[in-house]
Amino acid sequence: MASPHYPEGTVRALLQTDLVTEATRAALLPRLDTSPYTPQFFDGATYELLRAVVARIYPQPERVEPIELAPVVDKRLAVGDSDGWRYDAMPPDREAYRLGLGGINQAAQALFQQPFVQLPESQQDQVMEAVANGTAPGENWQQLPIDRFFEELLAELAEDYYSHPLAQEEIGYVGMADVPGWTHIEPNQLEPREPEAVK
Amino acid sequence: MPDEEVLEEGVLNPIKPEIQDPLLKSLLAEDDSLLAEAPIELEQQAPLPDPIDEVDCVVIGTGAGGAPLLARLAMAGLKVVALEAGPRRDPTKDYATDEKAQHFLFWNDERLSAGQTPVAFGNNNSGTGVGGSTLHYTAYTPRAHRGDLSLFTDFGKGVDWPFGIEELEPYYEELEHFLGISGPTPYPWDAKRRKGYPLAPLPLNGAALLMQKACAGMGIKTSPAANAALSARYYQEGIGWREACTNRGFCQAGCNRGAKASMDVTFLPLAEAYGAEIRADAFVTEIERDAKGRVTAVVYTQHGEQKRQRCRHLFLCAGAVETPRLLMLNELALTSGQVGKNFMAHPGMQVWGTFDEDIRPYKGIPGGLISEDTHRPSDADFAGGYLLQSIGVMPVTFASQMARKRKLWGQPLRDYMRSYNHTAGINILGDCLPHENNFLELATEKDARGLPKPRVHFTAQENEQRMNAHAEKLMRQIWEAAGARDIWAFERYAHTIGTARMGLSGDDAVVNPDGRAFDVPNLYICDNSVFPSALSVNPALTIMALSLRTADKFLEAQQRLDG
Repeated sequence: MASPHYPEGTVRALLQTDLVTEATRAALLPRLDTSPYTPQFFDGATYELLRAVVARIYPQPERVEPIELAPVVDKRLAVGDSDGWRYDAMPPDREAYRLGLGGINQAAQALFQQPFVQLPESQQDQVMEAVANGTAPGENWQQLPIDRFFEELLAELAEDYYSHPLAQEEIGYVGMADVPGWTHIEPNQLEPREPEAVK
Repeated sequence: MPDEEVLEEGVLNPIKPEIQDPLLKSLLAEDDSLLAEAPIELEQQAPLPDPIDEVDCVVIGTGAGGAPLLARLAMAGLKVVALEAGPRRDPTKDYATDEKAQHFLFWNDERLSAGQTPVAFGNNNSGTGVGGSTLHYTAYTPRAHRGDLSLFTDFGKGVDWPFGIEELEPYYEELEHFLGISGPTPYPWDAKRRKGYPLAPLPLNGAALLMQKACAGMGIKTSPAANAALSARYYQEGIGWREACTNRGFCQAGCNRGAKASMDVTFLPLAEAYGAEIRADAFVTEIERDAKGRVTAVVYTQHGEQKRQRCRHLFLCAGAVETPRLLMLNELALTSGQVGKNFMAHPGMQVWGTFDEDIRPYKGIPGGLISEDTHRPSDADFAGGYLLQSIGVMPVTFASQMARKRKLWGQPLRDYMRSYNHTAGINILGDCLPHENNFLELATEKDARGLPKPRVHFTAQENEQRMNAHAEKLMRQIWEAAGARDIWAFERYAHTIGTARMGLSGDDAVVNPDGRAFDVPNLYICDNSVFPSALSVNPALTIMALSLRTADKFLEAQQRLDG
C-alpha cells in the first residue's frame, strides 16, 4: 500500500476556526509567514549552501513556495538555542554546522570539481548520498564525525519541517485542533475534523 | 538557554554567578584554567542581601522528588521554600498543542552525552518549570515489584535497595488515591493489593487495541495500564476539581487541562495551601555551610539577581543530573566517592510498524496498554526484566527519532512520513544495572551561566544489550502478528537514574535509607539520583513515594529531637 495523500487546505482552514486554542494558533500561524529572510548567523554563501542541502533532504517540487527550513536553523544558531544535549564527540552546534557544510562543499569539489550549489540536482544527490554513507571526501570530516553530523542534521530538519502547518497537513495530522478533545480513538474511527486520505 | 558561544561573543551575562563559598573559591582558584573566571577578591563583590529570615526547609526542585515532600513538610507546620530553576506557567492559557512551542518545558541547558550509547536529554527525559519533569512525563505510573528492589539477592548482579517493597507500598497506595490514578482493579500482576485504583482505566487507542489483539493470540497477558491521568473528574484537597482527560495524547509535551497528575496541579497547590512558598526562575548555584559542615543557606539567581536563602535543612531534589552536578560544584557530600557514579538509564527499545488501519497515533493516552509478563521472562539470559507497553506518538517526535534511526532523506523520507497516521508502536521499559563505566562528571566546557557542563557517560552493558535483543525479538513478533509491515526498531534509553545512591553505609553510598546525606546532617536528597538500581518500571511513582517517605522520616527524626 502506497503512503496516503491528504487534501490540501485542511490545516490552514482549521487554524481559522474555534477548534484551535489561542495558544496553539499563536504558535502555528507565524510559521506560515513566507516573507524574505536575511540570515543572521551564516554568511550569504554558506546560507545558500545550507538552503541547497535542505532542498535535497526535503525536495518539494510540488510547492510553488517550498517550506523554508534554513531560516529556522539560522535563527536557532544566532540565538544559541540548544535542545539540551549534544554528542560529546561533536563540537558545539555552530562549529558543527560550519564544518559540516564546509565538508559537503569539499566533497562536491572532490567528486565533481564544483561547489555544491552549482551542481545539478542529480550530482547534489550523489554528494548527499556520500555524506549519508559516511564516505564523503573532504578534510573537514577529519574533525567532525560524519555519521553524527548527518544524524543531527536530519533530526533538526525533521523537527523543523514537521512543525510546519503545511507539512502537518501533508501527513494528515490535525492534533492542533485541540479544543474539543477526541472521543473516537479506535482504529479507523475518525472525527469530522480529521481529513480522510484522497482516494 | 543560549550556549557558551554567546558569552564568547561578548554579550553581557547578567546572571553569571560569583562564587560565595570560601572553600569552593579557594579550590577553584587552585585550578589555573578557572582562575580568570573565579574572582578571588571578596571585597569587590556586592554584598548579598542576607535576610534574617531563616526558614525550616529549602527544597531545590519541584518535580516528583521535591513536590510531595514540600507539601508534607508544609502540612506539618514547617516554614518551607521551594526553589525551582524553571518558570511558572498557566497550562490552560500558555500551553500550545505544538511540540516546538512547548520547548520551554524541557531542561535545555546543554549536557554532553558520551559513551557507546549516549543518552539524549532535553525532551527525552528532562523537564523544567514549576512541576519539574512531571510536566512532561507520560503519566505512566506502574508500581515497582518486590523483586526490583532485590536484584543482587535474586541474580547476584546489581545491588539491593536498603529496604523492601513494604516500605513503599503504603505510599504507592496513598499516591494512587491522591493523584487520581486510572488503572485496572485488581492489578493482573499483583492481585493481592489492599486497595484498587480509584478510577477506571482510560480508553484504549489504536496502538493499544492492536497490541491487545496480537498479544491475546500469542498467549501474552495484557491490561489497560495505570496512568496518572483522570478517566473522570476528581476532587483533591487544596486544589479542587480536576477535569477528566480528553484523549489529547499530548502528555509528553504538557497537559493543558490538569487531567494529568503533574506536580503543578497536585502536590504544589496543596503545599501552597499550607503556606509553602514556591519561587520560580530560581537557579541555585551555591550551598553554604558553617564550620561544622552543616548547610546554612543556598545562593541562587533569579531574574538576574543573586539572592541568598538561609535554612535549617536542605532538600536537594534536582534530578539525577543536576543533583550530582550541584554537589560536585559545591564539593558537598563527596566522601563516599559515589556522587556522579552509577548513572543508569532504562532500556526503552521501541518497535514501530505501518498498518492498514487508520491509527492516528496522536489520539488517546499514549501508554494505554501494558504487559508485565516479561518482568521475569522464563527464557531470559539477563538479570531483571521489563514491561511492555503500547505507545502513541506526536508527529515531530516521531519524525525526529525516525530520521535518526532510518536516515531517510529526499522523497523516500517524505513518502514514509505520509504513513504517520498508519503508524503504531510498542516499547519496553527495562531494568538497568549500575556500572562503573557509566557516570557523570563536570566538563571543562562552560554553559552560559559560566558553570561547567555535565558530561554523562553511558554505555549499555551486556545485561542491557541482552534485554534489548530479547525485547526486540518479542516486539517484532507481536507487531507481525498484529499485521504490521515495514517494522523497525529504535534503541532508546529513558530516564536519568543513579548518581547519588542510597545505601546502608557512607563508605559506598551518598545518602542513608532515610534519604539523609551521610556527610551532612541537615542535607536530604530525594529524586531519581538516590535509586540504587533502576527498577523495571517507570520511575515517577516511586520517586513520589520516596519523597513522601523522606518527609516522614525527617519529621520523625525532628520529633525525636524535640521530644
